Amino acid sequence: MVKFWRSSTARFILLVFGIELILAGGMTLTLRSLTRAALEQDAQVFAEGLTRDVRTAYVEQGRVGARNFSALRLLFSEGRTPVLLMIDKEGRPLFGNLMRWPAGLRAGWNEADLARAGPDQVDAIGVLVTRLPGGERLLAGQALENDQRLSGIVDRATGTALIFALPLALFAAFAAVRIINARVDDINATAKAVSEGRLSRRVSLDGSGDTFDRLALTLNTMLDRIESLISELRIVTDGLAHDLRSPLTRLKVRLDRAETEQNPAARSTAIALANEEADRLLAMLTTALQISRAEAGIGQDHFETVDLSALAHDLAELYAPLIEDRGFELQTDIAPDVAVRAHRELMVQAIGNLIDNALKYGASPIQFMAGQTATHAWVEVRDRGIGIPPTQRAEALRRFGRLDPSRTGFGAGLGLSLVQAVARLHGGTIELGDAKPGLIIRLSIPL
Amino acid sequence: MTQKILLVEDDTTTADFIVKGLHEQGLAVDHAKTGRDGLFHATDGSYDAIILDRMLPGMDGMAVLGAIRAAGIATPIVILSARSAVEDRVAGLTAGSDDYLTKPFAFAELLARLRLLMRRATAGPANAVETALTCEDLDMDLLSRKVKRNGRLLDLQPREFRLLEYLIRHKEQVVTRTMLLEGVWDYHFDPGTNVIDVHVSRLRKKIDAEGESPLIHTVRGAGYRLGARE
Repeated sequence: MVKFWRSSTARFILLVFGIELILAGGMTLTLRSLTRAALEQDAQVFAEGLTRDVRTAYVEQGRVGARNFSALRLLFSEGRTPVLLMIDKEGRPLFGNLMRWPAGLRAGWNEADLARAGPDQVDAIGVLVTRLPGGERLLAGQALENDQRLSGIVDRATGTALIFALPLALFAAFAAVRIINARVDDINATAKAVSEGRLSRRVSLDGSGDTFDRLALTLNTMLDRIESLISELRIVTDGLAHDLRSPLTRLKVRLDRAETEQNPAARSTAIALANEEADRLLAMLTTALQISRAEAGIGQDHFETVDLSALAHDLAELYAPLIEDRGFELQTDIAPDVAVRAHRELMVQAIGNLIDNALKYGASPIQFMAGQTATHAWVEVRDRGIGIPPTQRAEALRRFGRLDPSRTGFGAGLGLSLVQAVARLHGGTIELGDAKPGLIIRLSIPL
Repeated sequence: MTQKILLVEDDTTTADFIVKGLHEQGLAVDHAKTGRDGLFHATDGSYDAIILDRMLPGMDGMAVLGAIRAAGIATPIVILSARSAVEDRVAGLTAGSDDYLTKPFAFAELLARLRLLMRRATAGPANAVETALTCEDLDMDLLSRKVKRNGRLLDLQPREFRLLEYLIRHKEQVVTRTMLLEGVWDYHFDPGTNVIDVHVSRLRKKIDAEGESPLIHTVRGAGYRLGARE
């Protein structure tokens, strides 16, 4: 129980309850004081009217006129109990329904307790006291008995309202907590389902765009990302497992052969071949890891200003002898002063892969170009090989997406997906086109 | 005097393989299995080089590296790591290691780098700016950037000049393809194909005139070595 009262739910209930109570109390108290003010105002207005009328009668027709008028007014009391008394200069009562002038009245508005002439007992009255031109004094007003009863009713009603407000406030507090808990529970259930492996579960949205909806949306976006990463990872591991199987088998066969080989020369050849196979495997693993890291956005904090023109020249120079040795021709067209914010080493690797790809699968001449548009810097490699048909281009960029099943070369099926991952890391794109014949690959990254 | 190496590595298979290889090269090896042991051995200061695994139980390799350097021990250190990312390599080098090698590696690669570091350490600080390098009958003038073999002027491209300069500076040592890619091109990537071999073979053709004994030798399974035929 102690634990419950320390929970945020309990605190929230108390908070809502308190606020409800303060609001209800404030409202009824305000109502009460407003009613009282209105009643007093009404009594004052009546007293002023009566005083004015009696004074007019007095001015026009003297004491007698005033007395006759007063008698008439006392008769037609308009549902109130009027109080009226006029006294002369010496303080003797002249007429009215009070027996004597109450003590302690001052000029102006008074509220007092006093006895009236007649059967009635002590009453509260509200009267206006004025002096007439002839020296007489006049008090005019009404008994406040009715008003006080009304005021009492208002007070009791206020009390009752407050008593009813108590459970209502409590109910409102619990209702509010229930609404919030329901949405939090939904999020909770989703998180639980996801952690139990149901990765496709999402938090439901009510479309209101409120804080909970925004939280749910953020969570769903996060879950989408997690799901896609995991399925990517599954593809990578499946692809790796699949692609590692054949080189590993070859490696094993070669090692077996080396073991049984008696001829020293043949033996060392077998070992060298096994070594080559191992290198190929390592290169594949390294590339697969690089792709994963780039796709996870790792490395963005290592961006620097890279002179793409210089880098392209450097790479062209690095590959030129090899390209020439293979009997290919390399044509370069590199625009000067192209600079980008980039991860230098990954850019080197990506561009190297493009050239390597052309060298492996293309035909001479290889064209290597770099330049910039208003928004992007680009590097393009064209070859005159058989190219890739438009329908297979997406497949070519997919991890381990090998177009030609006979291709079991170095880092097979990963070269272009690494380029794509690097492009994405830089917020750029990789486009495949047709050089008629041959392949155009263009890597663009924003300036 | 036998050179002494400290190996800090928790994986027994890797450690045995390295220890055996180093012994075969006539080097003495002490092997520590934990970071704490490694640090204890290293502080003795009698080693010519330290091979330090990055992931160690108890005390992380990077922490050991930091502690060794903080203790003022300048012994050359090669970090071994299964993490190949550029960021990790940079972190290792800035923390005070002298070289960084990614697992798995060829033993020849480790040996080449180790020998390079030990030679650099014993050579002491680079003396007055060198203006000329020589190896056998090869003369390199670093100021006029002219190279002569047997008095005959060689026509080298700027990159070929740097490649040869690197080889001469490491003459009689095995340099691997990765070392060349790093030292001459400043690339830390895998070019996929052996682009370096083509550069070396071109340089070789320019250096060796007919009848001259070859100076650049291919070391099988490792890389290249510049020097007289052994």
